[in-house]
Amino acid sequence: MSLEWVTSSKNLRSFENKIKKYIMTKLSNICANPCKMCQPLGAITAFYGLKKCMSLLHGSQGCSTYIRRHLATHYNEPVDVASSSLSEEGAVFGGEKNLFKGLDNLIKLYSPDIVAVSTTCLAETIGEDVGAMIKRYLERAPKPAAEVISLSTPGYGGTQFEGWFRALRAVVEQVPMKKVSLDSINVVTGPISPADARELKKTLSALKLNYILLPDISYNLDGPFSLEYNRLPQEGTSIEQISQMAGARVTLELSPFCPDNLSPGLFLRDNYGVDLIRLNLPIGLRDTDIFLKTLKDLGAVIGDDIIQERGRYLDAMLDSHKYSAQGRAALFGEPDLVYSLSRLCVENGLATIVAATGSIAKEFKERVENELQQNQSPLAGPFSVLDGSDFTDIEREAVKGEVNLLVGNGDGRRLAQKRGWPLVRCAFPIHDHVGGQRIKNLFYEGSISLLDHMVNSLCSNLESSFRKDLKNQYFRSNFGQDKVLELDLEDLENNINGMAPASKSIQRPIREYVPKKLAHPCFSLEASHSLARLHLPVAPDCNIGCLYCLRRYDCANESRPGVTSAVLNPEEALERFLIVKKKFPNLSVVGVAGPGEAMASPEKTLETFRLIRKSDSDILFCLSSNGLALAPYLRDLKDLGLSHLTLTVNAVDPKIGQKIYGHVDYYSKRYRGLEAASIILANQMTALKMAVDLGLIVKINTVLIEGLNEEHSEQTAKTCAALGASIGNIMQHIPVKGTLLGEKRKLSRAELQKTSEKCALYLPQIRHCRQCRADAAGLLSDDRSIDFTKPEEGLMDIAAKVENLAAGGGRQVKIAAVSKSGVLVDQHFGQAERFYIYLSDGNEVRLLETRNVASAGGCSRCGKPDTIGGGEARPKGFIDKLVKAVSDCEAVVAVRVGESPQSKLAALGIASFATYESMERAVLAAAGKILTGKSQQTDSSNLAVG
Amino acid sequence: MPQHILEDRELSIATGSDLTSEGKTIKCGQNSVSGSVSQRACVYCGARVVLNPITDAFHLVHGPIGCASYTWDIRGSLSSDSELFRQSFSTDLKEKDVIFGGVVKLKQAVDEIMARFNPPVVFIYSTCLVGVIGDDVDSVCRESERRYGARFINVKAPGFAGHKALGYKLACEALFELIKPFRDNPKVKGINILGDYNLAGEIWIIKNYFKEVGLKVLSVFTGDSSYESLIKAPTASLNVVQCAGSMTYLAKMMEESFNIPYVKASFFGLEDTASALMKTVDLLGDSKARQKAKSLVEREGRKTHEAVEKYLPLLKGKKAAIFVGGGFKAVSLVRQFKALGLETVLVGTQTGSAEDYELLGELAGPSAVILDDANPAELETFMRQKGADILVGGVKERPLAYKLGVAFCDHNHERKAPLAGFAGVENFAREITLSINSPVWALARASSFLD
Repeated sequence: MSLEWVTSSKNLRSFENKIKKYIMTKLSNICANPCKMCQPLGAITAFYGLKKCMSLLHGSQGCSTYIRRHLATHYNEPVDVASSSLSEEGAVFGGEKNLFKGLDNLIKLYSPDIVAVSTTCLAETIGEDVGAMIKRYLERAPKPAAEVISLSTPGYGGTQFEGWFRALRAVVEQVPMKKVSLDSINVVTGPISPADARELKKTLSALKLNYILLPDISYNLDGPFSLEYNRLPQEGTSIEQISQMAGARVTLELSPFCPDNLSPGLFLRDNYGVDLIRLNLPIGLRDTDIFLKTLKDLGAVIGDDIIQERGRYLDAMLDSHKYSAQGRAALFGEPDLVYSLSRLCVENGLATIVAATGSIAKEFKERVENELQQNQSPLAGPFSVLDGSDFTDIEREAVKGEVNLLVGNGDGRRLAQKRGWPLVRCAFPIHDHVGGQRIKNLFYEGSISLLDHMVNSLCSNLESSFRKDLKNQYFRSNFGQDKVLELDLEDLENNINGMAPASKSIQRPIREYVPKKLAHPCFSLEASHSLARLHLPVAPDCNIGCLYCLRRYDCANESRPGVTSAVLNPEEALERFLIVKKKFPNLSVVGVAGPGEAMASPEKTLETFRLIRKSDSDILFCLSSNGLALAPYLRDLKDLGLSHLTLTVNAVDPKIGQKIYGHVDYYSKRYRGLEAASIILANQMTALKMAVDLGLIVKINTVLIEGLNEEHSEQTAKTCAALGASIGNIMQHIPVKGTLLGEKRKLSRAELQKTSEKCALYLPQIRHCRQCRADAAGLLSDDRSIDFTKPEEGLMDIAAKVENLAAGGGRQVKIAAVSKSGVLVDQHFGQAERFYIYLSDGNEVRLLETRNVASAGGCSRCGKPDTIGGGEARPKGFIDKLVKAVSDCEAVVAVRVGESPQSKLAALGIASFATYESMERAVLAAAGKILTGKSQQTDSSNLAVG
Repeated sequence: MPQHILEDRELSIATGSDLTSEGKTIKCGQNSVSGSVSQRACVYCGARVVLNPITDAFHLVHGPIGCASYTWDIRGSLSSDSELFRQSFSTDLKEKDVIFGGVVKLKQAVDEIMARFNPPVVFIYSTCLVGVIGDDVDSVCRESERRYGARFINVKAPGFAGHKALGYKLACEALFELIKPFRDNPKVKGINILGDYNLAGEIWIIKNYFKEVGLKVLSVFTGDSSYESLIKAPTASLNVVQCAGSMTYLAKMMEESFNIPYVKASFFGLEDTASALMKTVDLLGDSKARQKAKSLVEREGRKTHEAVEKYLPLLKGKKAAIFVGGGFKAVSLVRQFKALGLETVLVGTQTGSAEDYELLGELAGPSAVILDDANPAELETFMRQKGADILVGGVKERPLAYKLGVAFCDHNHERKAPLAGFAGVENFAREITLSINSPVWALARASSFLD
């Protein structure tokens, strides 16, 4: 296999096209960190709302186990789901046999009233007609002892949200209905918590209504502890109740986004004439009001309790409104809930910045967008509503919209951790907190609880940060009081010395890659594998003092600390260029990157470029600079053909800069502290702006230093991007002993990566920087040769080891232990695959070697020997082979030693001991016996467990 | 057999004495019985849990969303560097892809991955659906390696192809494929540790021990590993295999192809940890290391004994039930319980072998119940029958234990306190003591509060 990169121009191009898009666009072929699960999970959850119902998944074993684990850790309840455990054979020849057996077994184990059979990806793809199979199953004699409902829920056909409704639809379609008019109302919900289902029931009872709730998970997924545990879900909607749904007055379907073809309410309306009213979930003031008003019209009596509850929610809204107004939330989860959450946020003046669902629901985007456009304050700014989204999308939009609060399921916890945003967990799944089953979102009470959680998260964040934030923002020590340059973007542009800004395009969007940069290995990953570059060390001096730099060495902004290179004069540089060009025909770029600062000796750098340009009109020039003295020479450099510029900008805030730059030498004067940092920053920004206006491609290097500019680098990227930089590069600070920052911790690649990702939102980042030397030549990856350590002291041979031990004095015995686990004596002698050869003096044991005696082969799956069911017969003469393998030992310890091997061993003077101790103990005991002359015992009782 | 035991399952249930003095064998290593509510996961799961801890690998699940969603960050492996492995990536196949094939989407996904993440290695897990529709993932891998120079490894893990243990084997093959190109590099004195997944930082603890005795750990399969660290593996002089069920196969392949001997060891429990260290230094024949290992073992042993002492009176005579993934771990747990004064009354595994069960029978004693691939009904029945005080198991089993009023030990992927090494001995004792001795059990068992 070749490990070479292929560098054909076609691949380069397609690669580049991909790169262009990646930073701010969605990954279009990968779901990265899903905000959804699969259909069977939704179906199984809904079936937990039926009385005495068990689910069976027709497919391979894993699906049911994964879903059980997912549900069990959220609801903190045992979740039992059977599987038809399809094997390869089932996948090829069909799974009917497995399915029937599974149904029989499940009914036997649990005695359910209902068995719900949902399919999986596998069953659907091999074309199982489960409906027909179930029909055949039900026709068998004796008649099965349970109702069987079947439905098609391929994982690729939707999310858990659709799975839930598919289950309910199958229930109303398949349970035989009794069309007897009753005074009851049907209440059908989408996925809600058990506690909310309980609240719903309480409320309906308090309103003095007859109702049938489908499904009712309030007990089965949030069961009370009792001394009598029953593994069959005992409560929920019964078959009897379901059969009465056709005779109800009306169906209330509390789901705005239930697809029509899956709607139980529509089915009941179309087939049995039951009126249908679709409502939002009763969350927030407006939707709870509508819910109650609807019920009142149906004859409910609204009691004072409810009126007071409403008043309390209003009271809470008023109490919290100023905190709510600080909120900028990203909401995510199932479509019904996200819509309701957005309405709750809107009515509280808490901005919804992102509303996202992983499902694809008709009208979701329109309805949420309408709500936000009509009712959200324009001060909140732009918002985005996403469907079919994953957490990468949510993160991108949330960062863009500067959210400060996440509200949704527990899968948002990774995002919360990464970005430091608080997360209000209010929906399935929650794996890192307890109480998923007890979450209350519904009605005024649930809304109070939701609102309190959101507002308190904001309060906690504010409380823990506002002191520090305000101090950082406003407090100034007396030090450096002369002049503080406040360098926000506006100021930057105004302050750029003498240079009229080309345009007022400060807020220009993130620039796309410019094809030209392809040709530069340091600016493009792909080019880095094909094109060579040459750094010419012509600039020895430096004009600034970075606190992490030791001037003995090359510039730490550009090179690995601790590396020095011989300085060339421009003529020598030309010579080197010509030599290298001969050697590397793919040489595309010549750069000056030190070893000091390229523009601290501008004439040398310019002269070098001049000489080379004379001999080669195509080669690209690049330059690395700290930007302090760059601007005046940029036009000259450009005229010579400079196309790429790397600026090292470690901070765009002089207060941070002063901790990084010790001094700057500017027009024959040395500046320190805040002043120095302000000067260099202003000049850097000037140079950046000018370079961009001249059409140069500018890369921003940022040396990331622990605790100094880690948090700030995002701002740096943002500012530089706004001024027109094309690309950024977060570099590792390699602490050098003897510098002020030498004691800082070297940040890990992961930390760099994290920062780099944050910065990439503003400024595309390269990640292949090798921090090369100022005199580097060739491919970036050239020096990546893996230097394998030379073999040190080899393995000492066994003889030498024996000698070592023997040197300790006293007689030693060599003993072979039989072990499979490598820990215990755990095999019969005849089963031995490997012997552990020990040496012991009765006080201490020493492992000399292991001897492999297993014949090649064994179980092809697990590599274990085929011993299932008593073990395969060993080849003839195997015992002799085993005996021979231990012929240099004085004893063998095994679980058992058969008669024949025992006598063969004895004939060679080898004692046998039977035990199932740890090997060390067994060997020690055996050695003791031999050394004290009691070696003929073979009974395990003599090696009793200590 | 008690009620609620399926006929098909009877041969997979035995007592200690059945397996030892009666000479019976337990039926195991079979596909799960349909409808029995097995606790097992699938082939994909087995492969994923082994490979997932490779921190800078890109793990791409090729299939519909479920498999990726349920295994997002599934193993609580810690990383000292990249966190790429903690994300969940899937090609999220839809109906259209099932009909026309998923290869186009997969290829485009590869381009996106390389543009955006540029990882050194991409594992493509082909799940059930891909196994049926027949996407040629192998050729996508070949083509992608040629184009990008990174490694692309197809892990063919359709769930129906077998059970979890087959997934382990597939993972071993993938790992072997990954390191094979480096087989000719010269040997150095150093070891690989196989079968530690750095749950709760356990490999860091173990590596510290080896550092103290002066042995170089070249690679770990796969806890806190990276591509760069794994490819050093062929140069090692010894493989120390911890989780035998998942990694013996790889150790055997490395022995045959790279000439690296292996030794099995366990870092769970005081005695096993000590033995693991001593065995390793012995086999490397380093007398200086041996001296250091001896004093480390003595020092830590003393400390651990002192630390554990206060728990012993609170644990004495309690009864433990064990239901875990593999035989090796079950054996280790029975012994750890014994060392702390608990009796094991029930022990079962998802993937144990006949030999494992015989040994478990010996260790747990004649009256203990031994189970292969048990279901909740059996666990419930025998935990009640045997009066277990604590269950060790996976997160699925936790709510069942609580519903039965039984304490629980999280010796699983989700643990957040290290249970390996000397430090782990105390944590283990503490974990089970706190759960068993919580005041909640007595309150829960009290009959009626109104009398």
